Amino acid sequence: MSAVARERLARWIAAYRPDPGLPDELVGADGFHRGAWPGFLDALARLDESDIMARFVSAERHIRDAGISYRIYGDQREHAWPLGSLPLVVEAAEWRSLARGIEQRAELMEAILADCYGPGRLAAEGLLPAAVVAGSPEFLRPLHGVAPPGGRYLKLYAADIGRGPDGRWQVLADRTQAPSGLGFALENRMVLARTFPDLLETLHVERLPGFFQALREGLSLGAERSEPRICLLTSGPFSSTYVEQAALARYLGLMLVQGEDLVMQGGRLHVRTIAGLKRADALWRRIDADYLDPLELNPVSRLGVPGVLEALRNGSLVMANMPGSGLVESGALSPYLPGLARAVLGQDLILESPRAWWCGDPAGLAHVRANLDALTLRPAATPQRGAGRDAILGPAALAAEREDVVRALDDRPFDYVGQEPSPLSTTPSWERGPDGLRLVPRPFALRVFAARTASGWQVMPGGFCRIAERPGLDPTEMRLGIRSADVWVLSDQPVTTPTLLAQRIARPRRIAGQLPSRAADELFWFGRYTERTEAVIRLVLAHLRNTGAALATDVAGEPSQATSARIRGLLEEWGAVHDADLPTAALAQEALVGRERHGSARAHVTAARRNAAALRPRLSGEAWRVLADLTDLLSLDETRAFAESQLLGRAERALSHVSALAGLTHENMNRGPGWHFVELGRRLERGINTCTFAVAFAGDGAGAEDLGTMLALCDAQIAYGARYLQGAALAPVRDMVLLDPHNPRSVAFQVEAITRHLEALPALSADGIPEAHRRLAAGICGGLASAEAEALDSDAMARLEVELERLAEAVAARYFAGGPDALRPEKLAGLA
Amino acid sequence: MIYTLRHLTTYRYRRPARFARCAIRLAPSEGEGQTVLSRALAISPEPATRASRRDFFGAEVTSVTVATPHSEFRVEAVSRVAVERGPLPEPESGPAWESVRDRAVAGRGLTPNDPVHFVFPSQRVPLVSAVTDYARESFWPGRSAYGGAFALMARIRSDFRFDSKATTVATPLAEAFALRAGVCQDFTHIMIAGLRGLGLPAAYVSGYLRTIPPPGRPRLRGADASHAWVAVWCGERWIGLDPTNGIGVRDDHIVVARGRDYGDVSPLDGIVTASGAQRLKVEVDVIPEDEGVPAVAAWA
Repeated sequence: MSAVARERLARWIAAYRPDPGLPDELVGADGFHRGAWPGFLDALARLDESDIMARFVSAERHIRDAGISYRIYGDQREHAWPLGSLPLVVEAAEWRSLARGIEQRAELMEAILADCYGPGRLAAEGLLPAAVVAGSPEFLRPLHGVAPPGGRYLKLYAADIGRGPDGRWQVLADRTQAPSGLGFALENRMVLARTFPDLLETLHVERLPGFFQALREGLSLGAERSEPRICLLTSGPFSSTYVEQAALARYLGLMLVQGEDLVMQGGRLHVRTIAGLKRADALWRRIDADYLDPLELNPVSRLGVPGVLEALRNGSLVMANMPGSGLVESGALSPYLPGLARAVLGQDLILESPRAWWCGDPAGLAHVRANLDALTLRPAATPQRGAGRDAILGPAALAAEREDVVRALDDRPFDYVGQEPSPLSTTPSWERGPDGLRLVPRPFALRVFAARTASGWQVMPGGFCRIAERPGLDPTEMRLGIRSADVWVLSDQPVTTPTLLAQRIARPRRIAGQLPSRAADELFWFGRYTERTEAVIRLVLAHLRNTGAALATDVAGEPSQATSARIRGLLEEWGAVHDADLPTAALAQEALVGRERHGSARAHVTAARRNAAALRPRLSGEAWRVLADLTDLLSLDETRAFAESQLLGRAERALSHVSALAGLTHENMNRGPGWHFVELGRRLERGINTCTFAVAFAGDGAGAEDLGTMLALCDAQIAYGARYLQGAALAPVRDMVLLDPHNPRSVAFQVEAITRHLEALPALSADGIPEAHRRLAAGICGGLASAEAEALDSDAMARLEVELERLAEAVAARYFAGGPDALRPEKLAGLA
Repeated sequence: MIYTLRHLTTYRYRRPARFARCAIRLAPSEGEGQTVLSRALAISPEPATRASRRDFFGAEVTSVTVATPHSEFRVEAVSRVAVERGPLPEPESGPAWESVRDRAVAGRGLTPNDPVHFVFPSQRVPLVSAVTDYARESFWPGRSAYGGAFALMARIRSDFRFDSKATTVATPLAEAFALRAGVCQDFTHIMIAGLRGLGLPAAYVSGYLRTIPPPGRPRLRGADASHAWVAVWCGERWIGLDPTNGIGVRDDHIVVARGRDYGDVSPLDGIVTASGAQRLKVEVDVIPEDEGVPAVAAWA
């Protein structure tokens, strides 16, 4: 180690002073540096500080581009994922003993669940109070006596851990319902592996793919079919952890579905896909069990699948974790775990929890009453949460609160647990000091994961770590001021060369038909709404520029009012403005940014964004940003009146954003079924709009100014000018915007593209007879190919528009969940 | 007393429903003074699948799916039941409420009949401190659990107004309590919340109540209704108390199911894929075989 590096390291840790009452990762109780840290910091100090900072900057850029983000509960915005801290490093030997404790705890939880939902022996023998079980809202009685398909309640177990006062790891909360954080942990590692590939190699950091492969295998363990389809059930894009759910689905090759995508048929669970109903063999649920089945559990749930518990009863569906597994998250369980471990496993509990007393037990109640000042009082029935976040009463409580609680303890003591306070231990974090970087001790929360495989539990060599930027801030929930960190387990020997996750886990799969109908629907409408945004903007531009007049070179004098009136009329007809007779600037402003207008450009782009939110995993970060910028451009303050020139500038910039968006989806989207649906939506919408424009501006009585406007709306002025020397004339214009297969904005071009996209999508019937929507498309295509511009009068153009609308309906009816064959189920209403 | 029961539920849809999935709990329960002599469940249109099982609390649930397009969905349950429950306990008899409470929580059983399932809040019965305080007035230290519960029932009967317009099936308990009005479902939930607030086990019972036609008028077909009341664990057994009518449960009540709240026992629950409006009609007949013996005039 060079002198410079030594000096650098010395400066980093010169002022590092952990709180004497709190265990710390870097400095052990003996004052010496713990296990893995000296080696890690030595290696890090060999890097120049500016190099380290540059690497973190590049990591942040990657996070932004990849669109890794999270939401704060109740907040509409997304926040870029805050990975900026040092990893938490742990020696392999220490990790191994921690992992043994985690495995044991997971196995114990499994045994408790199997007993509580089965024979109830533990309660009968007094090892576990019956009231602790019956009092948990997660004791789901409809699941009592239902053996979990595959034989296991738990497929994924997680524990929030920290160091107790004696420096040993302890479990602050068990997570068995639907643990989150795994996807973020994976993203953290992917980013750091790009940022510090050298460090991961030299420090022998244990790799994660093996764990994720085990998890994937475990998820389908016990499934009926040998090639099971595994679905990840999300509550949707507004879940605070949707991005990590999407990431997990992508990495593990799972189908990301929402409740609406699933349906019970013939006693089995199915996914509605664009290729029809497909059997779902295994479900990894990321929604709480209570919301899973509105028929048997929470009746108000819109997130679940009516009747899905039936598939568990008949054994045709494997679920991770089995509904009802949340029972063992109960706060009142921890006092009984040491005894249960001895009775059930014949072992002492390796990882303990902070000492606790359930107040439903007379001795426990007496202890808590006598020591109320020194304990944290928590709800007994609901899941424990780390760091006393659910504390009803802590040692610092006010007298009035104390009085309320004492009364509550008289009425229903069994609703409470008294627990020894467990402040979070600390780990080193970066801070920019006056003379460069330095390390400071900060409280952290660490979640570790174990996956159930055929041969037992496998603990992930890593975890999901969150670190508070300031002391006193609670890192257990992601929000501002909390950073996440990777967790490095340093092996004592070189680890096997990292294998690409995708290669190890997902077999290449190129077949279409795996796209849920709902996703196809969203993609289709994303295409339609972006195209509709463009059409409105182009109309507004035509209105502001008076382009028709400029192009109508054979008309002398003042532009006619007729064309202008037609533009205005169309904007009103489309719902972009409430009154076609508004002054020029006011009309343009309302059509662009009118919040109250369902047909304004702003309304369409908002709708496109809503569709896009559901498509995050399929949309590049860049496309997402362009869409956000476009929304900003169309979000002018409506109380101000803007000048024509300002609005023109806005509209032009908005138009170039729309084009950029189209380019990005065209260039960056995988040519899977998803892309076909975006393009189908875009092409159909463009075809329909072009017909509308043609009826208005290239109709039987169209003047030169109308025709000029028509060319402008189709962005065809230059092409037209190059082909025809004379000014705009009816037949050539109609030919160019309707029939010319070489003009990318003509209707013929759209219909040809639509036909190609439809051919690429899966057919439902294998008998070779084209389905209705394909026959429709072929019919329109043939009609256009044989048409002549002279014969295309207003009526013919209006008929063409109707045919395209019908084709759009046929596509929706064939592929989407919202089609007439798959109406959304409604609850039977009323007190029956 | 032997009753013939008929419970007809009809849903009509403006546009045909393509699919329906229902859970039906309409079979009278067996035991605790009831004997089911016969029963039948008719469903139209003919279900695609139909299966029966017992739920956790022992009620029979029939799950059906209907896969044929239909504009009307009918479920008709007909049964004959003999009810012979015996007398209510002596007033103010039985163990003190504090010991009932402590023993319920100290129990080691998790079987459906164990009172421990009925001590905790449930989806439709949250604990509301105002309701607990209201109930507390009937439970002075050392009073028998039965005595306190009977007094609480009588107070609800006199303090609350029966008003079928005041609440709906979705009205939260706290709101109905503040209104001091509602129907049998509200009164039952409120009484349960008060008892559980004090730590006493209380269950929701669904069923029927014998009614008496106005003097000189014949019984009108379908004029009865399904009913709900409270079962209180009084230390040795469950005792039914009907806060809507202020009476203890003997042979005029016919039990269908017992659960933690309405959600556990709802007679017919389900989903339907239909796009238009739906209309519900319920007709109930409770016909005693010795029609003519006077009983209490009652609200349901």
